[in-house]
Amino acid sequence: MTIARRLFIVFVMGAIAAGVAELVDPGGTSTALVILGAAIVAGELLVLRPAERAPLPLSYAVVLVLVRITSPAEFMVTVFAAEMVAYLFRPERSEWDRVWLTAIRLGAAIAAYFVYDAAFDVMRGLDSRAVVLTALAAAGVAEILVDELLQVVRARRLYLSTQGRSADLALITSGMLMSVGYKGIGGQEGIGLWGPLLFSIPLLAAWYSFERLASIRRTYEQTIAALSVVPELAGLVRPGHAQRVADLAVSLGHELHMSHRDVEYLQAAALLHHLGHLCLDDPEVRGRAIEPSEVTDKGAEILRQTEYLRPAGDLLASDTASVGSQILRVASAFDELTAGDPAFNDAAIEALYSGPGYVYDPRVLDALERVCSSDAKVPARV
Amino acid sequence: MQRFDRVTVFCLLLGVAVFGIAAGLFALGPIPDFVPVLVLGAMFVVAENQLADIRSDIGASASAMLSTAAVVVFWKQSPLLGPLLVGLFGGLYWPHIVARDWRKILFNSANFALATLAAALVFGVLAPANLSTPLVLLLLALPTGVAALTVDLALFSIVVRLATGESLPLRTVGATILQSYPFSVLGAYLGLLYLDYGAVLVPLFVVPILVARQTFSSYLALKESQEAAVRTLIGALEAKDPYTAGHAERVAGYAQYIGEELGMPPSRLERLRFAALMHDVGKLVVPNHLLNKKGKLTAEEFAAVRLHEEVSVEILTRIDFLAPVAPSATSEAAEFAPVADDRGQPIEPHIVAVADAFDAMTSTRSYRKALPQQTAFNELRKNSGKQFHPRVVDALIIAIEQRNEQHGAGHEDVVHHADAPEAGTGSAGLGDLLVDAENGSEQKAGR
Repeated sequence: MTIARRLFIVFVMGAIAAGVAELVDPGGTSTALVILGAAIVAGELLVLRPAERAPLPLSYAVVLVLVRITSPAEFMVTVFAAEMVAYLFRPERSEWDRVWLTAIRLGAAIAAYFVYDAAFDVMRGLDSRAVVLTALAAAGVAEILVDELLQVVRARRLYLSTQGRSADLALITSGMLMSVGYKGIGGQEGIGLWGPLLFSIPLLAAWYSFERLASIRRTYEQTIAALSVVPELAGLVRPGHAQRVADLAVSLGHELHMSHRDVEYLQAAALLHHLGHLCLDDPEVRGRAIEPSEVTDKGAEILRQTEYLRPAGDLLASDTASVGSQILRVASAFDELTAGDPAFNDAAIEALYSGPGYVYDPRVLDALERVCSSDAKVPARV
Repeated sequence: MQRFDRVTVFCLLLGVAVFGIAAGLFALGPIPDFVPVLVLGAMFVVAENQLADIRSDIGASASAMLSTAAVVVFWKQSPLLGPLLVGLFGGLYWPHIVARDWRKILFNSANFALATLAAALVFGVLAPANLSTPLVLLLLALPTGVAALTVDLALFSIVVRLATGESLPLRTVGATILQSYPFSVLGAYLGLLYLDYGAVLVPLFVVPILVARQTFSSYLALKESQEAAVRTLIGALEAKDPYTAGHAERVAGYAQYIGEELGMPPSRLERLRFAALMHDVGKLVVPNHLLNKKGKLTAEEFAAVRLHEEVSVEILTRIDFLAPVAPSATSEAAEFAPVADDRGQPIEPHIVAVADAFDAMTSTRSYRKALPQQTAFNELRKNSGKQFHPRVVDALIIAIEQRNEQHGAGHEDVVHHADAPEAGTGSAGLGDLLVDAENGSEQKAGR
């Protein structure tokens, strides 16, 4: 089911539920709560996906409307019901992921509610306009922080990026405006549900931009991955070699605390480290065997021609000795020895330590040992 | 020089007109408040400087929002002069200022000022006494935004016509209005909020829009650099076969011509270009000595060469974005079968096939020299409706003739081997169309 279809169903269900609420309780607040609940469900389906950060749902902005207009009981019921419905619609494949995400969202929303109340109490007696705006901002920040914290617990990785921060900002400010639009501040009347509706426009524009950015990144990653199988299809290397080396290199990069960007280059270099082979003449034609260094040097030469992949090319070239290029050498040699079968891991590490003919960087080998022995699979993809 | 002068004169006239109107409004009063003019003007400057590198329709959304906001803010206080002054800020685009391109600054300022003034006039005529119900804003934002856009587009198309002699394509106007309408509503509400709360809420308003902008421009930048990277990568890999070096890039170029001629939207053009660039990627698995072999291939060698189409499809399918057009890489899917209704079938494979064949004929290969462009056109026409999709063939010929381009014999950028035979049966460029010199009959290469 596509996201558009899910959204349509949420829209129809929300409209029906709102109609029923209006019949049962004419003129009461329950209609608005049902509609805002449906907005939370829709906001769970539309997520901002900045690079290097766990996706952020637009529903966090809607929560900032709810914190101002509901009693604790109303808030809990609305948010809990919305999250239960959202749970059914979540596109994530694994049950475990869906449960985790629901827990994270609930935790963040509840934190927002209590922080808003607390901030409001602390600033009682000050200029009401400033109080409301500050309390809303505090609630928004609390929501993001709790989300981030729980994501770190879940993925055992800290995400930090400017792109992620700008997504946070867009969410918090939009949520504050939705809230102000709904109820007004400082004695001014709000415009009710029109407020959240209107102020979802810039947020949706931001969402669209993030989607475009994420899709172009995905296309690019897939292109590199697709090119990486060409040497395998040509029968020059074992099937799966490039992907395995790349996964291992990424794990080693994380283990050795390389920056996100460097790990990305490392991944590209690992995926394409046999590409140069395609441009060399066959051994029968040239009359001698192809040296591994010829392959990587040719690959480096190709990658260095492109502005974007030059750092990846530098990692491949045999004239460099950075940590990244050491990782590449170890990861590639390791996969040559094990061919992806973990049964040979220990023997392969042993062989690399004793390094006949070539001395591998001991720091990288230690990291390899740690990566292989840790039962928990480190998420390989960046 | 003649044209340049006319543009300058037009811009000066426009500037004088705006100055005259402003002076008249100053004399009539009331004079607008200083602060809202500066705040809204500053937002305009920020928006224009952030958005200038972005698609024009998104730029239109931001200016629609800000001009509507200005109209509402000054509605009671200085209904015409206020919006006009805010609009003047729209021309302050930093690169123009650095380049001292006064003509562009003058035109843009005058354009935005007049567009905002038109919006203010329409709003002033239609607005009821009490604005604060959302429905009123929803209804009013449409004619207000349309008025601003109409003036903006009209002036812009005049200056484009004066400068280049071309007229602006008008078919996107409807879409632009639709896209900017929500932003006009938002702008109207921003105006109301400004009246109620002053400038406090403005930063809140600006942040999400700036984030959207910033993200979109980094998307554009990333797209460009990644596309360049893939292009270079393909080019470098292709270089192993000197006869077809540059082939993928040329095919992508021709495919782009055809797509534009057929009126494809930008997103589809992008995919087409990418698919064309990658269409021959499977050739990389074919050993070099087979690719460059002169004369006939053995059956075994031929099978090895044929494998490359399957590999191309396999690779294209791995890229979600290209998967729907993955058959572009096979000659079977590209074969045109005249059926009554080919709607729903992607036309991309046909485009890649025609572009591929045209480039194969107009470049020198190991098995024969490049053919003259006219011969290639004749071949395409002769097989139009049989082997090739007729609309695609027409589109390519029109596009190349319109651009006055010459390809083929005598017009190649690089001729790799001057000793290539005049004609022959080749193996490398699969799907190539050949003209056998002896009997003049055409045959598909490698079949």
